[in-house]
Amino acid sequence: MEWEDGRTEDFRDLTQGEGLYILCEGNFQYGNASLSYYNTGTRRVENEVFYRANGMKLGDVAQSMVIRGGVGWVVVNNSHVIFAIDLKTFKEIGRITGLTSPRYIHFVSDTKAYVTQIWDNRIFIVNPETLEVTGHILCPDMTMESGSTEQMVQWGRYVYVNCWSYQNRILKIDTETDEIVGSLTVGIQPTSLVMDCRHKLWTVTDGGYEGSPYGYEAPSLYRIDAETFAIERQFRFKKGDAPSEVQLNGAGDTLYWINDDIWRMDVRSEALPAQPFLPRRGTLYYGLTVHPDNGEVYVADAVDYQQAGMIYRYSPQCVRRDSFYVGIIPGAFCWKKP
Amino acid sequence: MKRLLTFVCAVLFCAAMSAQDLRLDVPGVTVLSERPMKSIGLHETRLDTTALQESIALSMADILTYNTSVFVKSHGRATLSTVAFRGTSPSHTQVTWNGIGINSPMLGMTDFSTIPAYFIDDAALLHGTSSVNLTGGGLGGAVRLATVPQHLEGTRVQYVQGIGSFGTADEYLRLSYGNDKWQLSTRAVSATSPNRYPYRNRDKKENIYDDTHHIIGQYYPKEKNRSGSFNDLHLLQEVYYTPGDGGCWGGQVWYFASNREIPLLTTDYGTTSDFENRQREETLRSHFSYTRNGGQFKTEAAAGYMHTWMAYDYKRDAGNGILTPMTRSRSTLHTIYGQAETEYSPHHEWLFTADVTARQHFVRSVDKNIILQDGNRAVVGYDKGRFELSGAVSGKWRPTPLTGLSVVLREEMYGDEWAPLIPALFAEHVIASGWSAVLQASVSRNYRFPSLNDLFFLPGGNPALKPESGFTWDVGMTFARDLSDKLHLDGNVNWFSSQIDDWILWLPTTKGFFSPRNVRKVHAYGIESQLHGRWQRPHVTWDLAGNFSWTPSVNQSDPVSPADQSVGKQLPYVPERSASVVGQMILKKWNFTYKWCYYSRRHTMSSNDFTLTGQLPAYFMSDISLSRSVSVRWADLSFRASVENLFDEEYISVLAHPMPGIHYEFFIGITPRW
Repeated sequence: MEWEDGRTEDFRDLTQGEGLYILCEGNFQYGNASLSYYNTGTRRVENEVFYRANGMKLGDVAQSMVIRGGVGWVVVNNSHVIFAIDLKTFKEIGRITGLTSPRYIHFVSDTKAYVTQIWDNRIFIVNPETLEVTGHILCPDMTMESGSTEQMVQWGRYVYVNCWSYQNRILKIDTETDEIVGSLTVGIQPTSLVMDCRHKLWTVTDGGYEGSPYGYEAPSLYRIDAETFAIERQFRFKKGDAPSEVQLNGAGDTLYWINDDIWRMDVRSEALPAQPFLPRRGTLYYGLTVHPDNGEVYVADAVDYQQAGMIYRYSPQCVRRDSFYVGIIPGAFCWKKP
Repeated sequence: MKRLLTFVCAVLFCAAMSAQDLRLDVPGVTVLSERPMKSIGLHETRLDTTALQESIALSMADILTYNTSVFVKSHGRATLSTVAFRGTSPSHTQVTWNGIGINSPMLGMTDFSTIPAYFIDDAALLHGTSSVNLTGGGLGGAVRLATVPQHLEGTRVQYVQGIGSFGTADEYLRLSYGNDKWQLSTRAVSATSPNRYPYRNRDKKENIYDDTHHIIGQYYPKEKNRSGSFNDLHLLQEVYYTPGDGGCWGGQVWYFASNREIPLLTTDYGTTSDFENRQREETLRSHFSYTRNGGQFKTEAAAGYMHTWMAYDYKRDAGNGILTPMTRSRSTLHTIYGQAETEYSPHHEWLFTADVTARQHFVRSVDKNIILQDGNRAVVGYDKGRFELSGAVSGKWRPTPLTGLSVVLREEMYGDEWAPLIPALFAEHVIASGWSAVLQASVSRNYRFPSLNDLFFLPGGNPALKPESGFTWDVGMTFARDLSDKLHLDGNVNWFSSQIDDWILWLPTTKGFFSPRNVRKVHAYGIESQLHGRWQRPHVTWDLAGNFSWTPSVNQSDPVSPADQSVGKQLPYVPERSASVVGQMILKKWNFTYKWCYYSRRHTMSSNDFTLTGQLPAYFMSDISLSRSVSVRWADLSFRASVENLFDEEYISVLAHPMPGIHYEFFIGITPRW
């Protein structure tokens, strides 16, 4: 069997200016996750940039990515690792290991970050400078087996976390004490969490599934006041719907989510929209992001989950401007400013 | 190479020093060419008993890899090994043991790593349409496995011990007793290993940091297989009673217990001290039968019980040094079955058969323990039963000595759903008597019902699944000829074409779990061929058998998305070409075997793209073994040394799962004389 010789490439020309990192999960247990990079100015896309820059695989199930201090932090769920990469070269500059099943990383400061996990009732505390796990926050009323914490947003000294798999809560963490100081029950399995320009938290539940002992109900979109940590409004979907991937535009005044189609709603609205922003056209929408400045919408089509996914780029008026292939199951995005 | 030469020399020296009163053992696999009425039009590859007994250290997966044209997908020794015919999936291969299906009703497939060759006395592959003679659901084909009585007079004990690389220890024991009415046999197999084979991990790099946590160097680490240990135990008890009135009673009970770790992926940065990933299984298969031969009639009735308990544990150090479950999956399966079969031959030109099998499965599957919204505890899983019925009638006619025709009509029921009638037609004609050259053709429909997990697994099971359906036709030729009293040649070549609709695939969903769907329409076609020759000289016998398959398996579904690039492409993980060769030289008292196999490059993406992170390049594999039997006054002794992955090939069969490099095993066998 012939092997690649591990040669690496230099991407400095590609990464000039603004760009979009696209995380492609790959197939569970096959270790074929990948990272793509799209230069929004030149419309040039390069796939498998992590492998090509480092001569090694990204891992199994790339879950999420954030940028902090000029460094990209890539969470690779089933490889139990978070890679720190150089934003211009995609080269690894460090890694955090010792994790259970990491999902998302949120920076509290330069020396403290939280890492949520599935199948663990702990949120790990890491020091990004030393790349070490320094502690954990024990989540109440969870076992390792039913543990699930997901996306995080911060308002003041508090970080809010949605708990997804066989869970129905939003947790509130005091970043000064690293303790859970509040818990809010929403519907079954809140999948994502964002905070709008008015400091309202938005989460959408998937409602569970038919036959689940945990329950099966119509999913809902919730608006939660961050200060009072109370539900202000519940928007119900039809039973059987599977809404996910709640996102905000750069101004934080418009919500987007996937529910077969792509939907858009003003954060001040008191009713769900009647028509989708972008109807499904034989596509399998799996990931979603909105350009923080110009409001362009980027939608990921996972196709059949076994081949290169497609990214569609739409104007805020839903005019298609570009499309390009990336890796297998594109699911998460991360914007790089110039 | 130096290690290899040293090892071979040591074996040669050891064997040369042993006694000279030797008994010659019959070598490996041969393709049998008998064509009884029941075989009219069949495309059957039969492995002879001696081959199976000679390869005691192997699982059936290894035997099939080197001796047949099927594709064996393996993650390594004592890990899941599946067999697929003709570009189909493992669940399209039906497997029977002593006539009863042993595919897991939960998973739909059979793990061949749990079937030791030492327990199988008779094995055959029924390709494509031919499988309808045996069972339904074999859209690719069927594997027929059986135990048979030894016809022994007196008592016999055989014990074989093997010691191999990576701390592997194998033990085989058979106690047998027989007289004109009773045949008793007890077999045991034990296999244990830490299985920590070394490999170069090219999927990740180790970093070298300076004091300020900056990377100053990287390298591909030389790792050892992590979390790969196994401990398998098999016991097989057989009893046969022949009262002398034309009947025969038989009973076989097979118990299997395994405790296997699941190896970490090459891309896993966890440590084995932090995690435990383990699968345990206990399976009991019992089969009791009565067979009666009475002139024009042959009848058989059988009944039995099968039980499987499987446990999967994924644990994590909770920070206090105690491994705590993250996943605690348990499944329990009970199956009771009855079977009846009869044959009637009113005339040598005619044979009629009928068979019916009834099975009742009871499955309880628990995948997760959760805390409910009200604070109580519950488990996620299903508890279901399913009744299955399969019956067939066939008529076989040989109007002339050169021509045979056969028709099979099979009907199946799963739960409360009946499959459409499964018809199969077979024809054959001898086109050259001197070469025993037979032209064959067959055509059939077939259906495979979804497994219980397909239907009911939580989360994701899809009760709305339809059965997969297939339409297959075959045409081919077999021949066998003794070119002289010393030279024998036989072989076959077959063209096949299968159209499979409603192919079931488990795919991710937007809710975060996988779910099965009827998504694909596939056209699998191609060529399977075998050639075997034997040349016998006064003191040396050369035996060479080869297989070659060309099996395009093409997705013909409609595009699932405007971006879909998979239409018209080869299915992932199905090699288009595969080949194997087994050569043996038997020189006086020595038996030298060389085995070679080849799989062409495989796709991992339905679009057939080759990416840096998703390619499975072609690979060749070579094994050699040298054996010798020694008879002394008090026992027959045997010595065997094998070298596997002879050229230390770095390869993978499945993405992110490393395979072992060159490794060795040495066996000593003792059969005392009483």
